[in-house]
Amino acid sequence: MDTRSSLFWGAAIGALLVFSAPSQAQLRAGAPPPQATGDLARRDIRVPDSVPNISGTWLSQSSNRSILPMDGSPTPFLPWARAFFDNRTAAEARGEPLFDPNANCLPSGVPRVVAVPYPLDIVQTPELTLIAIEVMHNYRIIHMDRTAPPPGYEPSYLGYSVGHWEGDQLVVVTTGLNGYTQVDEEGRPKSSDMKVTERYRKRAPNLLEVDFTIDDPRTYTHPWTARAQFVWAPDARLAEYVCEENNRNKSDAAGKLRRN
Amino acid sequence: MSHRVFAPMLAVLMLFAAVTARAQAPSSQPRETAARAAQQTAADKSRAAIEAERTRPRLSGIWRLSAPVTQLLTIDGKAPVLTPAGQKQLRGQTDPADRCLPPGTPRLMFTDAPFLLTQAPVKVTLFSQHRHVVRHVFLDGPLMLAEDADPTWEGYSSGRWEGETLIIETAGFNGRQWIHASGLPQSPDMKVTERLRLVDADTLEDLLRIEDPTYYRSALTTRVLFKRQPPGTELPEQECSEKLLEYPLREYAPPR
Repeated sequence: MDTRSSLFWGAAIGALLVFSAPSQAQLRAGAPPPQATGDLARRDIRVPDSVPNISGTWLSQSSNRSILPMDGSPTPFLPWARAFFDNRTAAEARGEPLFDPNANCLPSGVPRVVAVPYPLDIVQTPELTLIAIEVMHNYRIIHMDRTAPPPGYEPSYLGYSVGHWEGDQLVVVTTGLNGYTQVDEEGRPKSSDMKVTERYRKRAPNLLEVDFTIDDPRTYTHPWTARAQFVWAPDARLAEYVCEENNRNKSDAAGKLRRN
Repeated sequence: MSHRVFAPMLAVLMLFAAVTARAQAPSSQPRETAARAAQQTAADKSRAAIEAERTRPRLSGIWRLSAPVTQLLTIDGKAPVLTPAGQKQLRGQTDPADRCLPPGTPRLMFTDAPFLLTQAPVKVTLFSQHRHVVRHVFLDGPLMLAEDADPTWEGYSSGRWEGETLIIETAGFNGRQWIHASGLPQSPDMKVTERLRLVDADTLEDLLRIEDPTYYRSALTTRVLFKRQPPGTELPEQECSEKLLEYPLREYAPPR
């Protein structure tokens, strides 16, 4: 096959995968087939019916080892960011534990929590959209009645999120991130200038898709977009996850393993 | 290969897909009918739950203890009476909170930090600022613990409305947390029943009954009040585990 035909078959197989994703997802969630509108009984009754319903429990279809540009292009690192990433990759290859606030029971931060391989539980109220995250028992507050963080907002792991609906998409903009964490487990770095824009939409009644754009001019040459998917799981309940019960084998700032 | 070849190949593929779908259709029909019926039942249940919710008091909002609970006393002002086994456990270990372990139930309710309460027809959720703990309370039936349910700090909660009062039952504890900062112990047999109601529009009452015959001579009933916080109250992140780090956190990106 020449290049053009392999491109074609690549595209064809890609298209098949894309179009078959919802049905695969449904199979994984098990019968019965979709409830057309999510779980109405698990959101505040004051939320108008005109707003799409994404409340309830969703199972992640992602693994967050790497968060990569979804268009297949390489991560657009700035030179310092590439060096940071390469150093980590090399340290890992040598078997050295890597510094990661997550290993010390601190939140993985936005955007890493968007693609966590753990379930989410979404609650919609008129003023807020809450996303409870099973891993490290955390939750995100998305302010639907604000457009920017309050003045003097202290940067944090999860940042400050504001949201609004654009048609059937929930658009969430997060700023005020503290820059201590990395974009993903593999170690793509971030700065406190990072702005993350997430677009939540139901690709199928049972499939929640989140395209999130990472805009961090201090770390990346241009904004890039990754994708996470979640499958509707009405009967799933978030388990208790307590990192602090096993807060050991930490690495220090130099990457040396400590046992305590 | 050229496009002239692709088009027929694509057509063959599509035909194959259509034939497969047709072949599958008859066998999947009974399953589909059953699934539709199940879906209908679920939708009817949802509608009934939503209708019932319209008449309920609105406990949702941001709440905070009206006064710190420095000492845990029963509703008639008495100190809890421990069994000999309970005496032995009293402050018998370091405070789990020192290691940033979750406060669990009921200690969270005696902790002075704001929490957001959301109220839906079949689920009430508490999002606390303290240790970003989330309490999930399902209103879809009585509390039933699976035989092999993992013991937890928070326990498993089930809620139901009785008139104007939301009753939450919680059990399935690991028995490792204190029930209050003063060091009162809990055993894995503890059961907590809470009755939440609005005393007035801005005051939420939680009447807690803590049953733990292993460590206490009698069930312990206590009452806490929460005051409604103004709209727009923020719940900023507080990371307890930062204090357990031996080195400062820093940003790796070079300064602007």
